[in-house]
Amino acid sequence: MYIYDMKKRSMQEPTFLILTALAAGPQHGYGIITDAEQISGGVTRLQTGTLYMALDRLRSAGLVEPDREEVADGRLRRYYRLTDEGAALLGAETERRRASAAVAAQRLSVRLAGGTA
Amino acid sequence: MPARDPAGTAALERRYRRLLRCYPPSHRAVHREEMLGVLLAAARPGQRTPGLGQAVNLAACGLAIRVRRIPGWLAADAGQDALAVVSLIAPAVVFILLALGWAVNAAAGARVLPRVPVWTPLLPVPVLPFSGESVVVMIAWLAVVVLGLTGRRGAAAKIAFISLTLALLALLLVLVVLIQQDHSFYFNTFPGELFQFLPFGDVPVVLASLAACSLALSPGPLRGLAIVGWRRACLMIAGLSAGFGFPSIVQLADPAAPIWDLAFRLLGVLAIAVAVAVTCVRSPVGRRVAGLVATGLLPTLAVTELSGRRVVPAVFLVPNPLLVSLLVAVLVWPVAIVSWRGRVRQAVLFVRSDRSDSRGATGPSSDRVHVRRL
Repeated sequence: MYIYDMKKRSMQEPTFLILTALAAGPQHGYGIITDAEQISGGVTRLQTGTLYMALDRLRSAGLVEPDREEVADGRLRRYYRLTDEGAALLGAETERRRASAAVAAQRLSVRLAGGTA
Repeated sequence: MPARDPAGTAALERRYRRLLRCYPPSHRAVHREEMLGVLLAAARPGQRTPGLGQAVNLAACGLAIRVRRIPGWLAADAGQDALAVVSLIAPAVVFILLALGWAVNAAAGARVLPRVPVWTPLLPVPVLPFSGESVVVMIAWLAVVVLGLTGRRGAAAKIAFISLTLALLALLLVLVVLIQQDHSFYFNTFPGELFQFLPFGDVPVVLASLAACSLALSPGPLRGLAIVGWRRACLMIAGLSAGFGFPSIVQLADPAAPIWDLAFRLLGVLAIAVAVAVTCVRSPVGRRVAGLVATGLLPTLAVTELSGRRVVPAVFLVPNPLLVSLLVAVLVWPVAIVSWRGRVRQAVLFVRSDRSDSRGATGPSSDRVHVRRL
């Protein structure tokens, strides 16, 4: 159901950042937040509430799943990993964004060519 | 992490723990410690209180997760039990309130009739029996109660929804007539009296919506009866009827009683609160029933009582009846529509089949063995 909806609509930015942060390997909550900030070039810093609401939704949609737990500094850390479905969806979204970016770049080059002519 | 200030960290943790109560218990059980770890790791050195943005974000996300889980909760055992009890008591309370309203009018010697011309092409005759405290509507809700108690939950829900649909239709048609005939003075002068066109007042209409939805979404009044038993069911019905029908009962005893006096009306609200507290809050199921009744009714009641007594600014007076009807239409009816489209019911059936699988081949009557008594 969720995947069906996602295919029809574009993916929200926090979702895209979270899935991207998990693409290379499992990460814990704070790791996802710092990684997402880095991926977005410092533009987006996920709030903790937003992260766990997204994780709750992504888990129930089967796009991410818990990987392992560990205790660091007396605090519980739960690692999450991307499922195959999640990876497929991220791949599709990446392609969609790449195609949009290519169109944008091509039209900008047309504009640039018109301006210089 | 502000490791150099243990007292500050402890204070911050305590405040974050408080904020995390916005999340549903099931979410907290799994994620609380993990979220605390992330929140404290992201805190500035020396930070002792959560930032405003962080606090708002946690509260909003916690509430959003709670809302997202409502359909699941309605389909789960706890929600189904609470809805079943509501489907038992709410229709009976609606019927009693209608009967009380009718008795008050009968005692006054005349039915309250619409004050605007109703014989127009826009207000067809079939709607008329459903305006005012009509006997037809009273009989319809008696049928809802009887059908529910005889195991015909679906038929009871259909009659309840038909009654509500006609009520809203009557209100809409009267509004169209009023607007066409420029009865703006009527709105400004007697906003509350618009409700005389509904088959029941503002509070009972919300209660009736709750009754209809609980009939549609739950296993039905028989299961509710198995949970609470006759004695407690009668107590609940009597308590809520006495609370909501407080003005009518007093008016029956003494027609000159000052029922529109604010203190008097607040006494009625207090009676409802006591009735709900005494009859419902005795167990987790009871608390859920009280929660369902209170969320549907108390805000409506408060708005009506306060605006009716001109406690709130006049600007809120005019849209008050419309506001209440819209709230019913926006908040309650979509649930009903979703239910009729089968989505929630499918979830319910899934949970039920899951339950019966786990019980083995004991048959449907085994429902009664597993009910949680108050």
